[in-house]
Amino acid sequence: MIRRGHSLKRRLMLWMAGLTLIFGTALLLEATLSANREADRVYDGVLDDAILTIAEALQWQDGRPLIAMPAAALQILATPHEERVFYALLGARGEIITANASLPITARLQKKVAQQPVYRDIDWQGTSLRLAGREFTSAGWETREPVQIWVAHTRGARNALAHDLVARAAMRFILMVGLAIMLVWLAVRASLRPLTRLRHRLRQRHSEDFSPISARVPVELSELVNTLDQLLARQRESHDRLMRFIADASHQLKTPLAGLQNISELALRSRDHEQWHEALKDIHAGASRSTRLAHQLLQMARLDHDETSLATRLDLTALARERLTDWAQRPASAMHDLGLEVPDHPVWVQATDWQLGELINNLLDNALRYTPPGSVITLGVEETDSGHELFVEDNGPGVPPALRDSLAQPFVRGDRHDTSGSGLGLAVATSIARSHQAQLSITTPDSGGLRVALLFSHERHQRNP
Amino acid sequence: MRLLLAEDDALLTRAIRQTLTAHGHTLDTLADGEQALHALTTQRFDLVLLDLGLPGCGGLELLSALRDRGDTTPVLILTAHDGLDDRIRGLDLGADDYLAKPFEISELEARVRALLRRSQQRSANQLTFGDITIDLNLFEVRMNGTLQTLPRRELSLLESLMSRAGQLVPRDLLEARLFGFEAVGSNALDLYISRLRKRLDGHGLRIRTIRGLGYVLEEIPAS
Repeated sequence: MIRRGHSLKRRLMLWMAGLTLIFGTALLLEATLSANREADRVYDGVLDDAILTIAEALQWQDGRPLIAMPAAALQILATPHEERVFYALLGARGEIITANASLPITARLQKKVAQQPVYRDIDWQGTSLRLAGREFTSAGWETREPVQIWVAHTRGARNALAHDLVARAAMRFILMVGLAIMLVWLAVRASLRPLTRLRHRLRQRHSEDFSPISARVPVELSELVNTLDQLLARQRESHDRLMRFIADASHQLKTPLAGLQNISELALRSRDHEQWHEALKDIHAGASRSTRLAHQLLQMARLDHDETSLATRLDLTALARERLTDWAQRPASAMHDLGLEVPDHPVWVQATDWQLGELINNLLDNALRYTPPGSVITLGVEETDSGHELFVEDNGPGVPPALRDSLAQPFVRGDRHDTSGSGLGLAVATSIARSHQAQLSITTPDSGGLRVALLFSHERHQRNP
Repeated sequence: MRLLLAEDDALLTRAIRQTLTAHGHTLDTLADGEQALHALTTQRFDLVLLDLGLPGCGGLELLSALRDRGDTTPVLILTAHDGLDDRIRGLDLGADDYLAKPFEISELEARVRALLRRSQQRSANQLTFGDITIDLNLFEVRMNGTLQTLPRRELSLLESLMSRAGQLVPRDLLEARLFGFEAVGSNALDLYISRLRKRLDGHGLRIRTIRGLGYVLEEIPAS
């Protein structure tokens, strides 16, 4: 089953949104800081102008500073934002020469302004102000005391400017993000279009169409398409095999059915009891053969499509004991000498129990069917150097070596067309052996007859000893 | 014996009827699950042959309904499904045996015989097989009607084999019954088996050896 993951588009968009949020926050923060800096730079210049204007209006009388506050200085500061303007002129000992407010100018500030101009953000009586100050010393022949000029105004204009700058930066940023999202959306749609095309193509496919997919796809998708093509090729193979098998099987099933039909038809025409009896014997044999054939065909089909059974660790000796016990109680085995030869300790292999059970059933069934009454049949488990071996051995007539290889093919019965076999037993066994990665071998034991063995070799099953 | 066959295939029903009535049994046949369940509530049968694919109510439901109300009538399941799961489910629900369709008549005869024998033994407290009878209360053996005196171990061996007549009795189980924890040679059991074989001679029964596994007490097959 395919597990439904996130939508690709949604995932891309989520990433975009996350990145935008992080970068956007950082950018806005930076924009705010630099806008404030810029506003301060502009309006600190205005404060400077006001201070210089005041300084020019400074007069001296008897070594004492005298001021008539120039209207221009206040004009400069009173921006269109109706700022409130404050000033203070301080003497050398910090005494107020003139002021329109008692600005909080500390001793430290006074000391500092002696060295260089000072700019400060201050809170005063619940208002936030920008304060600037400079000290002027005498440049003339008369010794005069230095004068400090302090000017402050409210921040309305500054804030308005900063705000304006930030708003413009934000607007640019939002525009950019919008554009980026649109472009990404278009790019995603364009890149996903081959997938959509592929989906349509697959959906329109006929269920029996196993030809390779011919669609133009980007490099990233070509691997997927290749894998799909390989899967289709395997499907075609399996489908062909199945069709061949069905054709063979229907041929095989029709043959005994045709016999049944003909014999019963002839018997119905006859009035002779002897002939009836002969016909019934044939009909019984034919029905038995069809039965067995149907059973084994189902087994093969089940084996080919068994994807649910799991190999488990199982004891070969226990399985052999259980199977032989079952067979010993069947009337079919009453005339044979059955035996079990297993070690007296468990022999573990990795296997699917029903499959191995069916394999043993098939081998025992074959042995009972193709050997005369009184024959010795032995089911056994042997531990050899190369691996664990499960075997069925009989002392019957055996099969000529030349025919042995073809025994494992479906519908081949060696040289034994006279009996009621279907020719599928060993094919089933071979198929089971293959699915267990075990080797099926057919040999002639020293005592003559036939020995069919399934070897779980140590090398192949090393990880599951 | 009175048997009930719940099966909806007409041809198979006819074949089974012919087989079992030839053995002197009375066979009632019903092709519907509901009817079969009803018949089982009102009448007594010695054995039920149950098809799993019945119309009305399925064979497995019928079986579990039967067992749920404490009815222990032996049940032999007949089914075309021979998957292991079905078999285990049937036996788990309380079926006594299981026969996959298509089957040979001789196979059916053997299973029916074994089940009837078991159910009889449960009630009569005696074992009967062929012309041999063991009274489990008196530990008396009669062969063809005449009382036989058997040594203790031979009697115990015969009883063990007869209580599971037609089935395989494992060798180690027989050894445990006969000798307990006594240390005996590996061929001690063979000795008693061969003595018992001589006694059974001429009674139509035999003890078949399954090498490495155990023994089956059975009727000598025709032919």
